[in-house]
Amino acid sequence: MRLRKTEEDNLDHSFHQTRRHFFGKSALGIGSLALGSLLERQGHAMQSPEIGGLPHFAPKAKRVIYLFMNGGPPHLDMFDHKPQMEKWRGKEIPESVHGNKRQSTMTQGKGKSTLPAFTGFKRHGRSGAWVCDFLPRTAEIVDDVCFIKSMHTTQVNHAPAITFFLTGGEQPGRPSMGSWLSYGLGSECEDLPAFVVMTSRDKEASCGQLFYDFYWGSGFLPSRHQGVKFRGNGDPVLYIANPDGMSRSVRRTMLDGLAELNQQKLHDFGDPEIAARIAQYEMAYKMQASVPDLTDLSDEPKHILDMYGPDVHRQGSFAYNCLMARRLAERGVRFTQVMHAGWDHHRNLSTQFEIQCRDTDAPAAALVKDLKQRGLLEDTLVIWGGEFGRTPFLQGDVTNLKQLGRDHHPYVFTTWMAGAGVKPGISHGESDDFAYNPASHPVHVHDFQATIMHLLGIDHEKFTFRFQGRQFRLTDVHGSVVKNVLS
Amino acid sequence: MKGRIAFPFSVITAALIAAGPSRAEPANFSREILPILSENCFHCHGQDAQARKADLRLDIEADAKKAVDGAFPIAAGKSGMSEIMKRMLSTDPDEVMPPPKSNRKVTREQISMIGRWIDAGAKWGEHWAFTRVEKPKLGGDEGGRIKEEGNEIDSFVRMKLAEKGMKPSPPASPETLIRRVTLDLTGLPPTPDEVADFTSSYRLQPSAFEALVDRLLASPRYGERWVWEWLDASRYADTNGYQGDNDRTAWPWRDWVIEAINDNMPYDKFTTWQLAGDLLPNATKEQKLATAFVRNHMINGEGGRIPEENRIEYLFDQAETVATVWLGLTMQCTRCHDHKFDPLTMKDYYGLVAYFNGTPVDGQGRGGQTAPILDMSTPAEEARSQQAQTALNQIGKNVEAFELKKFPRPAGKGLEESEAGKLPGNLTATLAKVAPVKRTVDGILEAIGYFKEKDDAYVAVLQKLLDAVRRRDTAKGSITRVMVMEDRKEGPRDTFLLMKGAYDAPTTTKVTSATPGKFSPLPAGAPRNRLGLAQWIVARDNPLTARVTVNRYWQSLFGIGLVKTAEDFGVQGERPVHMDLLDYLAADFMEHGWDVKRLLKMIVMSGTYRQSSRVNGSDTDPENRLLARGARFRQPSFMLRDQALAISGLLAEKTGGPAVKPYQPEGIWEEASFGKIKYTPGTGSDLYRRSLYTFWRRIVGPTMVFDNATRQTCAVKAGRTNTPLHALTTLNEPTFVECARVLAERLLEDAALSDDAARFDRAYSLAMARKPTAKEKETLAATLGKLRAGFMRTPDEAVKLLEVGASPRETKLNTAEHAAWTSLCLLVLNLDEVLSKE
Repeated sequence: MRLRKTEEDNLDHSFHQTRRHFFGKSALGIGSLALGSLLERQGHAMQSPEIGGLPHFAPKAKRVIYLFMNGGPPHLDMFDHKPQMEKWRGKEIPESVHGNKRQSTMTQGKGKSTLPAFTGFKRHGRSGAWVCDFLPRTAEIVDDVCFIKSMHTTQVNHAPAITFFLTGGEQPGRPSMGSWLSYGLGSECEDLPAFVVMTSRDKEASCGQLFYDFYWGSGFLPSRHQGVKFRGNGDPVLYIANPDGMSRSVRRTMLDGLAELNQQKLHDFGDPEIAARIAQYEMAYKMQASVPDLTDLSDEPKHILDMYGPDVHRQGSFAYNCLMARRLAERGVRFTQVMHAGWDHHRNLSTQFEIQCRDTDAPAAALVKDLKQRGLLEDTLVIWGGEFGRTPFLQGDVTNLKQLGRDHHPYVFTTWMAGAGVKPGISHGESDDFAYNPASHPVHVHDFQATIMHLLGIDHEKFTFRFQGRQFRLTDVHGSVVKNVLS
Repeated sequence: MKGRIAFPFSVITAALIAAGPSRAEPANFSREILPILSENCFHCHGQDAQARKADLRLDIEADAKKAVDGAFPIAAGKSGMSEIMKRMLSTDPDEVMPPPKSNRKVTREQISMIGRWIDAGAKWGEHWAFTRVEKPKLGGDEGGRIKEEGNEIDSFVRMKLAEKGMKPSPPASPETLIRRVTLDLTGLPPTPDEVADFTSSYRLQPSAFEALVDRLLASPRYGERWVWEWLDASRYADTNGYQGDNDRTAWPWRDWVIEAINDNMPYDKFTTWQLAGDLLPNATKEQKLATAFVRNHMINGEGGRIPEENRIEYLFDQAETVATVWLGLTMQCTRCHDHKFDPLTMKDYYGLVAYFNGTPVDGQGRGGQTAPILDMSTPAEEARSQQAQTALNQIGKNVEAFELKKFPRPAGKGLEESEAGKLPGNLTATLAKVAPVKRTVDGILEAIGYFKEKDDAYVAVLQKLLDAVRRRDTAKGSITRVMVMEDRKEGPRDTFLLMKGAYDAPTTTKVTSATPGKFSPLPAGAPRNRLGLAQWIVARDNPLTARVTVNRYWQSLFGIGLVKTAEDFGVQGERPVHMDLLDYLAADFMEHGWDVKRLLKMIVMSGTYRQSSRVNGSDTDPENRLLARGARFRQPSFMLRDQALAISGLLAEKTGGPAVKPYQPEGIWEEASFGKIKYTPGTGSDLYRRSLYTFWRRIVGPTMVFDNATRQTCAVKAGRTNTPLHALTTLNEPTFVECARVLAERLLEDAALSDDAARFDRAYSLAMARKPTAKEKETLAATLGKLRAGFMRTPDEAVKLLEVGASPRETKLNTAEHAAWTSLCLLVLNLDEVLSKE
C-alpha cells in the first residue's frame, strides 16, 4: 500500500516548493543539503564540478560483484601453472629469485624449500587457459575470464592486505571501493542499498580471518555510503522486520500518520531535512518489501539452483551469497562484495585446499554463467581474488604430508575478472619460473583499482574527496589503468 | 618552474581586466591568498622537499620573493614581473601552472586577486590558526543592547549578520528552549513538570533561563552527556579490535572521565592528567588512571605480526590522536614525508612520537591488559577467577583420564607419543602437546570440529573443557586492570625517522622528543617528556589547543563547528566565518582557567543559541554558517535511544561500572567472530542504561548506534546522514518498541488522563515539551482509530506486539487498545521533531 494519491501530491508539493524556493534564491540553496540524501539515484558526486562530473566517460560496467577470497588462495596451485618447479621439489628456491624479501613471521628467515603445485593442471576452452583439476566448473568459464597473473601487493598480513585491496590504504579509515562508487555513481535501485556486503567462511572453520567492518567502511565519505552487511543468519538487513505483532498494514497506518504529521511540521517550519526524513521513511517501508522479495528463492528454477551447488540453500554460504549477488545485480545494486574466508592454508593445504576449491568453484562459475545467460554479464564486472597469494615454498615439514602448507605471498599472485568491458579469454602478465615475482606486466593493487574505476567510466585520478585538507582518492597517488585487459 | 616566458605586460593587464572589475582593497594574505597558494602550489612548491619541483618554495616569503634564474616568482609591487602570474595565465600546456595533469585549477578571479595583492606590495602573513590567540574587541558598538538580549557572542554574530544585511531570528519559545538546552547539557529531555515550571517562571522573569542552565550544569547527567564525544575522540572501546578482539577493562577510565567532567576539572588539568598523569610528582592512582587515554588504541593480535610493527603502529596512533584532539593537525602524512601544506615536517612527527616511545610496551601480547597496567581489581573478582580456575582444573583431570583411554600409550609417555601425536592440522600442536588445562579456545574448537561425528563421547568431554576454559578466561579477563602509561626506568628508546613509516626501515636520522618546530618551544623549565608536552599543549602561547577545543564544543551544540573542519586547523582547513568569535571564546576560555562549564554556559546563554530554528522564507544560508537562526538537526543515535528510554520512564539511571549488553539481534558477534564470541544480552536494568555504557566490540560496534565514530581510531567529527536504515532502527529496534509499549502503558494507566486528547497532550509533552496543535490531534485521533480497528481484528497480533521487550507488561489493559497505543507511541518516537533537536 502506498500513500494515497493526494497525500503523495501534497508531499511532493511542499517538498518541491521548499526546493524551488531555495534554488531560486541561491545556487547554494538550503535544499541542496537535503537533496543530497534524497537523490541517491544520481550519486552525490555526479553534480560536483570539482571532480568534473561523473561518469567521466561512457562506462562499460554498471555494477561490480567482487568475490573476495580472504586468506590468500594459492595462485600456483590454482591458475599459475609452473610444471618446471617439479624439478626443484624440496630444493631451496635460489636466492636470486627470492631475494630475501620479507615474509610473515611464520616463515621469515626459515628455509625456502620448493613446493610445486598440489594437483594436476589441464588446458581448457578455446583460450587454452590452465586450470587446476580441483576447479572443474571454473574451467568451463575460462573463455569469459581474463586472468591477471602478475598481481602484486605491498602487504604481507591479512587485515592490512585486505584493507589495501578494498580501500587503497593499509590502515583502516579510508572509504572502500563500494563506498566510493555509491558516493560517486549513486544507486540504480531505489529500494535496496547501493553497496551490499555478504560474508561466508569455510565449513570446517579452519580459517581464523575475521571480517572487520572497515572492509566496507565509508571512511571520510558520508556514512550512508558504507556497505550494508547482509547477515548470514536471521534477517539479512538489521531491523528490517517489523516487530512481532505489527502487520504490514498496521505499519502502513502508522507511517501514514507519521508522514502526515511530519508534513504538517514541514509546512510550519520549512526545514527541508523534514522532507528528506519523510522520503527516507517511505524508502524504509519499500525496503521492507524488497528485501524479503530478494531473498525469496522460490522463483528460481531447479537447474539454476543446482548450478550453484548444494550449499545454495544454506543462508550464509558462499553459494547462497553468489546467487544473492546475481539477484542484487538484477535489481541494480551497484557494488556487491562477497567475502569468503577459508584460504589461509599455512599447515593444511593438503587437507583444506581441495575442500575450498570444491565449495567455491561451482558457485563462482555459476554466477558468471548465470549473469551471461541473462545478458547481465555485458554490464556487470565480476572479480575473483584474494589479498595475496601463497608462497612457492612450503611452510611446515616436507615429510609430514598432513601438515603441509604455504605462507602469505604478496609478490605475485593471480586474480580474474569477467564481464563488462574486460577482454574475455585472455591472460595478462606472467610470473617467473617459481611463481615468485612478476616476470612481465606487473599489476599493482592500485593499478587494479584504477582499472576497475576505468571500467565504470571513472578517471581514478580525478575522482577525489577532500578530507583533512587533502584530495583523497581510492588509488592514493598511484595506479595506472591496465589497458591490455580492456575489451 | 623552470625557464621564463616573456609576457608583454599589457597581456597580463588585459587578462586581469578581463577577469572582472578589481575591488578597491588588496587581498589579505592569510584570508585570501594563502588558501589559493596552499591548494594549488604547495603540493610541489611547499614544505615537502621530496616532492618539491624546480627547487622552488612558495610557502616561505623569502624564497617566494627571491630571484631564480633572474626571474622573481613574486616581484612585490609588480604583478607583471612576477613569474607566478605569467605561469598561471599561460596557455601553453607545458608552461601553465598548476599543470593540467594536477587536476588543480586557479580561477580568473583568483589570479586577479593575487595580481592585486602583488601590486599592493605582496604583504606576507601567517596562517590564522598558527598565530597566538589574542582576545578581539567585541564586535559592533551596541554594548548595552547586546548585554540585555544576550552576551558577547551575539555582538560578533550580529555584526556579521548586519554586514550581510541579515537579521537574527526571534527567540525560540520557552518550550523549545528548555527542551533544546536540557538535551544539549544532559543528553535527556526535560520532564513535563520541568517544562511547566520553567515556562511559567520564564514568562515572568527571563533570568529563569540562567537558573535552568545552572541546574543542568550541576546535574550528574551532564558528565554522562559530554563524555560521549571524548570517548569517540579517544577511540575508547571494550575490546582490542583485530583478530581475537579480546576484551579489555578500561571502564574505570571512562568513569574517571565522567567524574572529571562533572567536577568541571579545568581542561588544562584534564589534558595534563591524561597525557602525563603518571609523571606528576607523587602521582596518585587517579592521575595514573587518567593516562589510559593514551592506551585506548587498538591492539593487533594477528598471527604473523611482528611485535615491533605493532609497537610502532601504536606509537603512530598515539601521536596522531594527540595531534588531532588538541592541535587540530593532521599529522598522518608526516609519517612518510614532510607535510604538503602545513609547516610540519617528518622530523616533527617523529619528535612527537618520541614522547610516547619510553614505555615498556613491546608490541607483544594479544590480551586487553598488556603492561603497563593499573590494578583496579576487587576481591570478589579475584575470587571469581580463582573459582573458575579450580573448576577448570577439575575438568582438566577428567579430560586427562578420558584421553588416557582414548589414546593408549605406555606408562610415562606423553600424549603426543600416542595416536594423538599424528592428528592432522594444528591438532598436534594445540591438543597432543598441551595439557588440557593449558589448551586454548581455538585449539579445543578445532579438536571438536575434527572429532565431530567420529567420537561423540570425546566431543562431549571436550565441550565441557571448552566451557570451563571460556569461563576461566572470562573471569580472569574481567578482573579489572586498566592499561596505562608508565616510562621505562632505563629511559626512552631511541627514535629514528622511518622510511615511509615502515617499522623495519629506520633511517639514520635520530630524533629526540620535541614539539613541532613551527610553534613556540616548550615553556621554560618544562621537562622533555610527556609532562612537558602536556604543558606545551596547554600553554597560553599555544595557538591551537583552545581554538580547537572551543570549536568542538560549538560543534556539539550547533551541529557544525565555527571551523567546519574540526579535525583540521591547518592551512587547508576551513577559515571560519566567525573568526573573531572563535578567538574571543578561545581567549576567554584560557583567561578563565579553562573552565568548560563557564564556556558552555556562555554559549547557551547567548541570544544566538536561543534563537528560533525555524527556517526563514528568505534564508540563503543553507548550512546556517552565519547563525541567523538556531540550530536544528537530528540528534546523534546514542541520544535517540537515551531519549526514548527517558520518555517511556524505562531509563535506569546508574553512573559507571562495567559495560552492559542491551538487546542485540542474535548472531551478530557470532557471525563476526566465526562463532568464537557469543553475545548474551543483560537482564533487568542493564537493558535500560544510557547508551554510553553499552559494550563496544571494536570489530562490530553496537547495532543500534549509527552515524558515529567507529572507535577504531580517533574521530572528532561525527557524520550526520539520513538513510532508510536509520528509520528501520528507530522503528524496529526492540528498545524503541519496548519504550513505545511502556509509554503507552504510562498514558493508559494515568488516572489523570481522562480521554485520548489528554493522552495525546501528555505524549507530546513527554516527547517534545509541548502540546499537539488541533490539526495534529486530528491526525493522531484518526490514526489511533485505524490502529485500534486493526488490532481489534487481530487480537493475537496485539499480544505479540505487547510481548516485545523484557520488562513486564500491565496485563490488566485491553490488549488491542494497548497495542494500538503502542503503535501510536512508536509513531511519536519517530516524529522528525522528536528525532531532532529543535
